[in-house]
Order: sequence, then structure tokens, then C-alpha cells
Amino acid sequence: MPDLELRRIRARKRLRVLLERVLIYALLLLILVISVYPFVWTFVTSLETSGGIFEFPPSLVPENPSLRNYREVFSLVPVARQVLNSLIICVLGVGLSVAFCALAAYPLAKMSFPGRNFIFYAILATLVLPNEAGLIVNYVTTVKLGLLRPETGAVGQFAAIILPALPSTVGLFLLRQAYLAVPLELIEAARIDGAGELTIWRRVMLPLTMPTIAAFSILQFVAIWNSFLWAVIVLRDRELYPLAAGLLDLAGAFATNTRAVSAGAVIQIIPILIIFFVFQRYFMRGLEGAVKG
Amino acid sequence: MNARLLRTLAIAYGFMLPMLALKAVYAFWPILFGTYLAFTEYNIISPPKWVGLRNFEELFGLGAFAARGPDRDFWYGLTNSIKYVLVVPVIQILSIGLAMLVNRQLPAIGLFRTAYYVPVVTSFAVVGLMWNWMYNQYGPVNFILTRLGLMDAGNPTNLLSNPAIALYAVMFVTLWKGLGYYMVLYLAGLQSIDKSLEEAAVIDGASRWQVFWNITLPGLRPTILVCSLLSTISAIKVFEEIFVMTAGGPAGSTYTAMYFVYAQAFQDFRYGYAAAAGLVIAVVSLIFGVINFRLTRGGNSS
Repeated sequence: MPDLELRRIRARKRLRVLLERVLIYALLLLILVISVYPFVWTFVTSLETSGGIFEFPPSLVPENPSLRNYREVFSLVPVARQVLNSLIICVLGVGLSVAFCALAAYPLAKMSFPGRNFIFYAILATLVLPNEAGLIVNYVTTVKLGLLRPETGAVGQFAAIILPALPSTVGLFLLRQAYLAVPLELIEAARIDGAGELTIWRRVMLPLTMPTIAAFSILQFVAIWNSFLWAVIVLRDRELYPLAAGLLDLAGAFATNTRAVSAGAVIQIIPILIIFFVFQRYFMRGLEGAVKG
Repeated sequence: MNARLLRTLAIAYGFMLPMLALKAVYAFWPILFGTYLAFTEYNIISPPKWVGLRNFEELFGLGAFAARGPDRDFWYGLTNSIKYVLVVPVIQILSIGLAMLVNRQLPAIGLFRTAYYVPVVTSFAVVGLMWNWMYNQYGPVNFILTRLGLMDAGNPTNLLSNPAIALYAVMFVTLWKGLGYYMVLYLAGLQSIDKSLEEAAVIDGASRWQVFWNITLPGLRPTILVCSLLSTISAIKVFEEIFVMTAGGPAGSTYTAMYFVYAQAFQDFRYGYAAAAGLVIAVVSLIFGVINFRLTRGGNSS
């Protein structure tokens, strides 16, 4: 008799769990649609060549998929050139900022010298100190450094874009945290063997903190690939625009050509999505590490 | 001994040199020079001319500008920026909820988490374009609104061209883009809470709500402090979404404080005046930061 009762309670409980699960998935799906639909719409529009762009109800699959819009966007703006610009800016920006952060974090984590804490906290403070005039002063600095003079050409303008992105507080912080976990005995042993500090940094610290370096590189790549405001303010030659800035340019000049602009948008996002999906683990790790301090 | 100290110093600062030099130029110098510029008249071509408090008098409508009154564009922009702080509680509450929703062992949960994060890694250049299309007169947002009976199906209007709504429509985009970011941070926060506490409470007969209110939320407090601080700072200086979506329009309804700074500096070339406005915004931002710190009780988790 109590056995029957128990079974009934168990069945009711199972039903409740099932119902709850259905509700959870319904909610998850709703949020998924809201998060992803604008991307789907843009992608579908970039592949369509006929029919209304805005139709009721909005379509989910392209009617006559073709790459015509992509061909068109290549003829409207120098997309290939912009991709190249973005790559140059990203490779130099990521490479140099990783190098500078990895170098600077070493003494901050593993040496004791006067001024260490002051320097570390002064740099950390720049994360929260409001600096609303920063954009203006950085522009003035860039002009005064002569980076925008016509005779410095593309090198000057690329330097103007890349330099402010290099000293990353987040990168310094992440790498310092990673170095702190490296056992001091390893460093001492290397020192006894007569290794110089630069050798220790290169042979001991860097190999042991590769996951953090990868995480920061990816965070930095995404940030630099996506940034456009500074480029729009600083760059004199539209020829040198990175993809994100070029996309705004395209949208401004060909606002009515939604199909071509959406193709441009897809070209800008695809590399980021690939990198994000492939290196997701590193990405999240970097992000969490950056705020845990 | 001194020789050794000198050697250590030389090595340490040698390692830090590139970083420190760039930080000095692009992070510390702007604070000093930006503050100085606020008290000058400057157009980049001729050297800054010291004008004392005149820029602030112009912003606030004091002294020589008493007759004209405060700079209406600036105050209008600042009001909109402060309105933008509305995003903060909404995004924090929603992302805590979302983090709790995805913080469970369910099939395909990783897929959902990843998908929610996609807007975060997308450039505002693309986000702005996409949402301009979403908000189009005949676009998907209006499709839903007309079906729900919230908008006249015969004559749908673009939310971004309605001065009463445009700012909120842009806020929604900020929310949409930022939600996944805070979700990940709260997820990390949730996973750092001692599981045995929650289990013990459940065994003692606590309801779900009690567990959330007495264990989960206090455990999240340090994360809440960091997240709400970050989102308050970025709400006050909201600019990129405005820049790509509405350029301050329609009829100035999405004009924000940082848009004013941008326009003064890069359209009117009044760098001193723009820096003064930037300084006022920085002070407002600090005040909101302190309020935020008080409200979250300093992030103490006890």
C-alpha cells in the first residue's frame, strides 16, 4: 500500500521535473532567437538577390541564394584592401601588446624592487579612473607625434592606430597572475645555472604561461578587429581603413543598398566567429581571469 | 649591495620600459593634459591659451555666460547619459537570471551559452547596422509589434525615428550586446559559491527563493559590484552605439554627453571646451561609481 503511494509521488515528481525542463528549454530557445536572429537575418539578406528586403513575415531562408551581393560589395569598396589593413593592424597590435605585457609582467610578478607596487596599482587604476577627455588628448598626442603627417604615409597612420591599443592593462594583469603561479625554485635554478633574466623569461616563464598568452591574444584580436572609432577619427586615407571602419563607410555611402551592406557585414563578422568558436575555451578563460582580481 | 640593487632596478625597468612608456603617453598623460586643457582654449594649431574657468562658466551658464544660460546641448546630452544608467539594473538582473538559467547540467547547454555570447564578440559597427535593419519600418521588430497589437499595422513607424522612443531602442541594443558578457562573469561568480552551503540549506528545508536570497545573492555580491561598476561607467560614457545607429538624432533625442564631447572636439575643433565637458562627465561618472559602491555595500559577501 505505501509502495503505491510512493510510486504516485515519484511519478508526480518526475512530471514536475519534465515540465520544468520543457519550460527551461522554451526560455533558452526564446533568448537564443533574440540573440541570434539579427545575424540570421543579415546572413539571409546577404545571400538573396530578389524579393523584398523587408517582408512580412521576415523569411528565414534565402529564396535564390547567390553570391552576387558579395561580388557587388567587392566592386563598391576595396574590401580586399580593408581585410589586409585589418590583418596588418591585428597582427602587429596583438603581437606587440602580448610581447610588451609579457615583458612588463615578469618583474611585477617575480622581482622585488622599489616602486613595484606603486607601478602595478597605478596601471590597474587606469581601468576604473574615468578619463572622458582621453580620446581628445590621444588625438592631440597622435598629431603632435607627427604620425599623421603626409610624409609618414601608411606607416605613420598604422602606428597611430596601433600604438594606443598596445599597453593593455588586462593583458598585464592576466600575465602577472599567470607568472605568480610559476614556482620560484624554477627561476632560482635557472639563475644558478647562470641564465640571464631575458633567457629565464623566454625559456621558463613564456612556455609555462602559454594558455594565458593564448587567452589574452584572442581577447586582444577580437577587440582590435572590431574597433573602428579610433580609426575613423585618426585615419586620413580611406585606403587604410580597417574592415569595421570601412563597413561604416560603405553603409554611409550606400545606405539604400542593404544587400551589399549586409554582405559587407558578414565579411566583417565571419573571421571573428571562426576564431571565437575555435578558441572559445581560451576566450572565456581570459575574460573570467580579467575580472577575478 | 647597492650595485646589486641597481642591477635589479635596471633589469626590472628594462623589462617594463615599452609598457610604461606607452602607458605614460596614452593613459597617464591624457589625465594630466586633459585636465589642463579643460582650462584652456585650444584648436591644436595654435598653443593652448589659458582661460581659467571660462569653459566651465560656458557649460554651466555662469559669469560671462550668465545671460545665455547653461549650454543646453551639453545638459541635454548629460541628461540622456544619466538616463542611460537605467540599463545597469536591467542588464544586471537579467544577466544574473540568465547565468542561473544556464548554470545547470543540461544537454546542449554549452551551445546556448555560446550563442548568447556571439553578440559580445561582434563589433558595434555591425551591431549598429543590424539593429538599424531590425528597427526598419517594415523590419522584424515592427513585425512583432504589429502582431502583438502594439503598433498600427497599416502605418508602422521606425522606433529609431520616434524621438520619444529612440533612446530606449538604442538602450535595448546595448542590453542585447552586453547581456552575454555579464552572463559569463556571473556564471564564474556562481561557480565560485560553495555548493555545500546551498545543499545544506535545501536539506534544512529552505525554499528556492530563500536559497537564492540568502546564499546565492550574497555570494555573488563581489561580482555584482564589479559588473555594475563596469556597466555604470560605460553607460555614462555611451557613445559608439549612438554614433553608429542614430548620430544623436532624431531631433537630438539620443544625443549623449560623450557625443557632445566628440562633436565639440572633432567637428567644432574646440578641444579645450570638449575637455572641460569631459572633466564634468568624469566627475559625474565618479559620483555614480561611489553610489554604486555604496549600494552593493562594497562587494562584501558576508
